[in-house]
Amino acid sequence: MEGVAIIGAGQTRYGDFPTKGVKELFAEAYLEMLQSVDRGLDPQMIQAAYIGCLSAGSGFQLGQLAPLLMGHVGLPHVNAVRVENACASGGFALYNAACAVASGKFDLVLAAGVEKMRDISSSKGRYWLGVSGDTEYERLAGSTFAGIYALMATRYMHEYGLKREHLSMVAVKNHRNAAANPKAQFRKAITLEQAMNGVPVAYPFNIWDCSPTTDGAAVVLLCNARRARDFTSRPVYLRGFGAASDYLAIHDRSSITRLNATRKAAAEAYKQAGIGPRDIDFAEVHDCFTIAEILAYADLGFCEEGRAHYLLEEGITQLDGKLPVNASGGLKAKGHPIGATGCGMAYEIFRQLRGEAAEPVRQIKNARFALSHNVGGSGGTAAVFIYQRGDE
Amino acid sequence: MSISVVSYGVYLPFLRLGREEYVNALGRCSADIKEKTVMDVDEDTMTMAVEAARKAVAGLDLERVGVLTLASTSYPYQEKVMAGTIVEALGLRKNILTGHHGSSTLAGTEAFLSAAGLLVGSGEKYALVIVSDAPVAGASAEMEHSFGAAACAFVLAADEQGLELEGFYSYVTESLGLRFRPAGEKELRDIGVRTYSSQAYNEMVGAAVKGLLNKLGQKPAGYRHVILHQNDVRTTVALAKKLGFGDEQIQEGLVYGQVGDTGACSPLLGLCRVLEKTVPGDKILVGSYGAGGGSQALSFKLNCRLPGRSESFQVLLEDKKYISYTHYLKLKRSI
Amino acid sequence: MGAHISIPMYQRAVPQRYRLVGQRCLKCGKVNFPPKAVCKYCNAGFEFEEVTLSGRGTVYSYTIIAGGGAPPEFAEQAHCQGSYPVVVVELEEGPRVIAQLVDPPPAGITIGMPVRAVFRKIYEEEGVIRYGFKFRPA
Repeated sequence: MEGVAIIGAGQTRYGDFPTKGVKELFAEAYLEMLQSVDRGLDPQMIQAAYIGCLSAGSGFQLGQLAPLLMGHVGLPHVNAVRVENACASGGFALYNAACAVASGKFDLVLAAGVEKMRDISSSKGRYWLGVSGDTEYERLAGSTFAGIYALMATRYMHEYGLKREHLSMVAVKNHRNAAANPKAQFRKAITLEQAMNGVPVAYPFNIWDCSPTTDGAAVVLLCNARRARDFTSRPVYLRGFGAASDYLAIHDRSSITRLNATRKAAAEAYKQAGIGPRDIDFAEVHDCFTIAEILAYADLGFCEEGRAHYLLEEGITQLDGKLPVNASGGLKAKGHPIGATGCGMAYEIFRQLRGEAAEPVRQIKNARFALSHNVGGSGGTAAVFIYQRGDE
Repeated sequence: MSISVVSYGVYLPFLRLGREEYVNALGRCSADIKEKTVMDVDEDTMTMAVEAARKAVAGLDLERVGVLTLASTSYPYQEKVMAGTIVEALGLRKNILTGHHGSSTLAGTEAFLSAAGLLVGSGEKYALVIVSDAPVAGASAEMEHSFGAAACAFVLAADEQGLELEGFYSYVTESLGLRFRPAGEKELRDIGVRTYSSQAYNEMVGAAVKGLLNKLGQKPAGYRHVILHQNDVRTTVALAKKLGFGDEQIQEGLVYGQVGDTGACSPLLGLCRVLEKTVPGDKILVGSYGAGGGSQALSFKLNCRLPGRSESFQVLLEDKKYISYTHYLKLKRSI
Repeated sequence: MGAHISIPMYQRAVPQRYRLVGQRCLKCGKVNFPPKAVCKYCNAGFEFEEVTLSGRGTVYSYTIIAGGGAPPEFAEQAHCQGSYPVVVVELEEGPRVIAQLVDPPPAGITIGMPVRAVFRKIYEEEGVIRYGFKFRPA
């Protein structure tokens, strides 16, 4: 298997952009990516593209989004495909791109994601977002996507004594981080009191427990590790990548206080990288709802199952803690443009490991290994990546 | 061949609207109810029918149910085989004779008698009769104040001990302007002339009851309970007394005050209630009424105790949650 | 907006929705609900016998969907009820299933609370009423 490196990455700011569509968002992230390839790159060398997007199938473009976007940035003949696994579309685009490079078939492959969510009314948004879970049973129970994670949260509280405050601690932490991230949707810190008293959404969640709807795009360029230094002085290596699935409907799963897809994907990624959870210096995890970050702590091996809330109490996952999680602000506050999210995490890690975090206060120092974790729906799919700083 | 009720089931919705809600909102309540039953947003006459029927058929060999008749003035569809929903929800045999009765509150006893007839004609063992109703009128209509919702179901058996149908008598004549609904309309109308209305009720129910007593050679005193259709309490009680029945025979079957006007269910719901207080040997007389108009009187005799119920009628009356008039209007889709 | 679940698709699931018809795996004996092509417990058995579940179970987890966030098909229900509970119920035959809870107790829903299935309207689309099961405190 060939080694895989990231040699460039770009991301739009996440937010609400009435003047930009999927093409404009994608192009913005793509051009930033090209500029980040510091030794220069002829874009025509790019051989393939995997592009994550959910709403392409639901709201805007019925099919073949990938050639539409590639034609827009001057690469009309690239082998391009849209990847869809709900909120993990970007992660699976990255995973497939990594596999394509690792196979030796291609040397330069684009992994990208884009989503335009702010063009439609909230009721229409709920209509198509609901499809990311199990439609036949979850949706027809009148549940929303938040409702499914809320069911996990209630059960987690019952089994492990998690308190409402713990959920809010995730929101407070991630909003604080996003405040220092110029690419984030919400650049505003919130207090614990605020976070605990938002408008109810689905018990035990209030609005502050939920990620927003977001416009945005992210693009990363993967390269065969042996050629990475032809293009950049500071590549970031993808040392491990894993992906897995689970029953789509939560009632089919043996446990709802863990995501088996994450566990299996993480095991695959750690094994490939030859490292363990203790070696990870910081992580970007999938916090579409506050409970999701809490579940991720144990699923990724950062703590034992049921002990995640102690990590929050001890501040371990804060920006200045031993294992910062979601230094970007996470889905919660950086924003969650569904198809872009998985690649946006890679962008954040690429910048952090190169010492390029946009504001110095957010720069994590002396980090060698980082992890990103992207979940589809309520855990029907998950992808986990392990990155290593490239200047060693 | 004898036809007897061998089991039955009752469903009352959980929600109640108290009389004072009308008084507070409108200044008065035109119905002499204490409270009435109200279907929740996800209920209709079919969901109530299924719940009542599930209780009635509990423990029964469903393969031997060969007849299914339904009654309602308020089916959720104007055209569709409603029995299909019941067959699938209960897991009944698909080779089943069906009858759908509607178009007036007479439908309840009509469905009962047609099930008995189909049972005799087909040679099947069991028939299931489901009466589920929830009359509807506009929020501004006086008659609306009394409208409740309920369902009851009966399993009839050929040649089996139970509540035996001893005889019946029907009376039908033209009667204009009382509780009617032109084709395509959703809400009931009535010309609202009270004496004209009670005169029609008295004539038809009186004729059916007297006809039945004559036919069977029975006297009012021979009955433990009498249950007449309840559009309101006063008219019902007055007629029963005029026919020669006493308070102790009348009172037990009066359910109107706690559930309201349940349309086609009305007298059969009263029957379900008195069955709990009946011992073998007791006779019960039921008189239905449908405006337009007609009445059917049915005479029953209890030969043996019916299977015990998991929840008494009283428990159903007490299993409730009161709602506000505003909430009620939302459920009526008025606001 | 069109239906997510077409009417023929709903029709095919009527035995499950109306009276909880599940399947017992002839290989491992466990009960699957909703049905699978291959048993989800042994991942091997593909032959089943039909079993109608009792509808009795206990609350495994719950949430309360706030009215404003309800899916569009449930907007009318949310309008009437303000909010409504959704539960995962562990059925006595083993499988878990997600559905709404009607008539929740005033003191609140608790995990482990016994419930039983009831027949209700789930939602209405294209003029067709979709009936199915919900749960009620037992």
